[in-house]
Amino acid sequence: MKLNERSVAHYATCDSPPDKTGFLFKKGERNTAYHRRWFVLKGNMLFYFEERESREPIGVIVLEGCTVELCESAEEFAFAIKFDCAKARVYKMASENQAGMESWVKALSRASFDYMRLVVKELERQLEEIQEAAGGDCVGAGVGGLQGRSKPSRRNQVSRSRSGASSSSSSSSTSSLSSSSGAPPMAVNYSAQRSLQDEVQLISDCSKENGVAWSKPAVSVANGFAEEASSYAAWEACSDSGNNSGPGADGVRAPPVPRRRRGASLESPVSPGTGCFSKLHDWYGKEVEELRVQWLQSK
Amino acid sequence: MRFNEKELVSLSRQPSEMAAELGMRGHKKGDVVKKRLVKLVVNFLFYFRTDEEEPIGALLLEQCRVEREDSQSFSIAFLDEAERKYLFECDSEEQCGEWVDSIVKASYESMRKNLIFYRTEIHRLTGKDPLEQYGISDETRFQVNNGLQLTPRDTSSL
Repeated sequence: MKLNERSVAHYATCDSPPDKTGFLFKKGERNTAYHRRWFVLKGNMLFYFEERESREPIGVIVLEGCTVELCESAEEFAFAIKFDCAKARVYKMASENQAGMESWVKALSRASFDYMRLVVKELERQLEEIQEAAGGDCVGAGVGGLQGRSKPSRRNQVSRSRSGASSSSSSSSTSSLSSSSGAPPMAVNYSAQRSLQDEVQLISDCSKENGVAWSKPAVSVANGFAEEASSYAAWEACSDSGNNSGPGADGVRAPPVPRRRRGASLESPVSPGTGCFSKLHDWYGKEVEELRVQWLQSK
Repeated sequence: MRFNEKELVSLSRQPSEMAAELGMRGHKKGDVVKKRLVKLVVNFLFYFRTDEEEPIGALLLEQCRVEREDSQSFSIAFLDEAERKYLFECDSEEQCGEWVDSIVKASYESMRKNLIFYRTEIHRLTGKDPLEQYGISDETRFQVNNGLQLTPRDTSSL
C-alpha cells in the first residue's frame, strides 16, 4: 500500500511541537535485540530515528486502535504497543527508567485521533451548555461566531468517539479481561486508574448524544472488550451520580442526528468488522455460559 | 521509511466519516483521472479501486492544504511539496463542499487547535479548567503554550 511517505516524514521533522520525545529501546523484528532509538510522538504518529540528530525517521508507528500495556520481560521497564488485527505485530519497547516508562505508556495510550476527538467533542458540548445557560444575548457576537463554527464539525465527529477512549481505557481493562498464554500483563494501575474513571465518564456523556453509537457491531475485539465494560460502568455512573450534566440539560437539546452513512454504495465493499463481530459474539456467548453455570451451581 | 502497513490497512476497513466514489488524479505529470473509492478515516484518506478490499494507498492529512479547484473538484497538496497536487472530482458542488470541509477538520493538529480554543474559552467563562475533572490537565498535547501559535481566527473571540 502506498503512503505519502515524504510528507509523513516531513510532519515528523517540521516545527509543529511534538507531544513527547525521548530515547527508548525498541525490539527489532527479525533481529530480536533491543535497539536504542530517538522517538518523536506527534499526534497519533510515533516516529523513530536512528539518532537524535538524524534528519529523517527510520520509521513510524501509526497509533490508531492500539493498546499499550506493561509487560513481563527480561528487559526492565518494558511495555508493548499492541494492535488488534490479524497477524498484527507487537511492538516491544523499553524505557531507561520507571518514570520514563510510565510517562510513555500514558502518552501513547492517549495518542489516538479518536481520543482527541472525544475530548474535543466533550469540551464543545460543555461550551454550548455554558453558552445556553448564560443566554444568547449577553455572551455576545464573538462567541456566536463559535456556534456557527462548531455545529458543522459535530456532524463529522459523531460516530467514532467511543473507540478512542477504549484504546486508552483498554490498557487496564484488556489486561484484566484477556487471558494470555504467558504471564498476564500487569494492569496499568497508577494514575491511569483515576483517569480511566473519568474517561469512562466522558464516554457516558458522549453516548447520550450519540444514541446509535453503542449498537454498532463494527468494532474490533479489543475495543469491544473495553466498550462493553465501560458501557456498563458508564450507565451505572449515569444513574448514580448527577454530576455529568446540569439539570434539564438532558431534555433541552436534541442530539445531533448522525449522518446516514450505511448504504452499501458509500461504504467500502468490505463490511467492516464482520470477522470481529463473530469473535465478539463468541466471547459474549462464553460469558453468558459461565454466568449460567455459576447460577446453576449456586442453587 | 518503515510503517505498520497491516495496521494501516486494518484502519482503512473501519467505519468512516466519509466515503464515496470520486475521480482521483495523482500529482505526477501525465496522471489521469481514475475512479476511486475514497474513504476518510481519522486523519487518513484511503483510496481503493472500486470493489477491492485493500486500499491502493493512503494519504496522511497533516500539514496539507485543501483547495477548491472549481465548483465540483478540490485538491490536496502537502506543504513540503506544494506544487504537487492530488485532484479529486466530485458529483456535485454540495458533495465537493462537504469533502473540503471534512478534510480540513480531519487533521490531528486542527483538532488540537480547537481543543485549546474550547479549553481557553471555557476557562474564561467559568474560571475553571474543563480538563481538570478528567485528570488530563497536564498532558502535553492539551497545552496552550506548547509552542503552538494561535492563529488570529482562533483568538478572534477572546
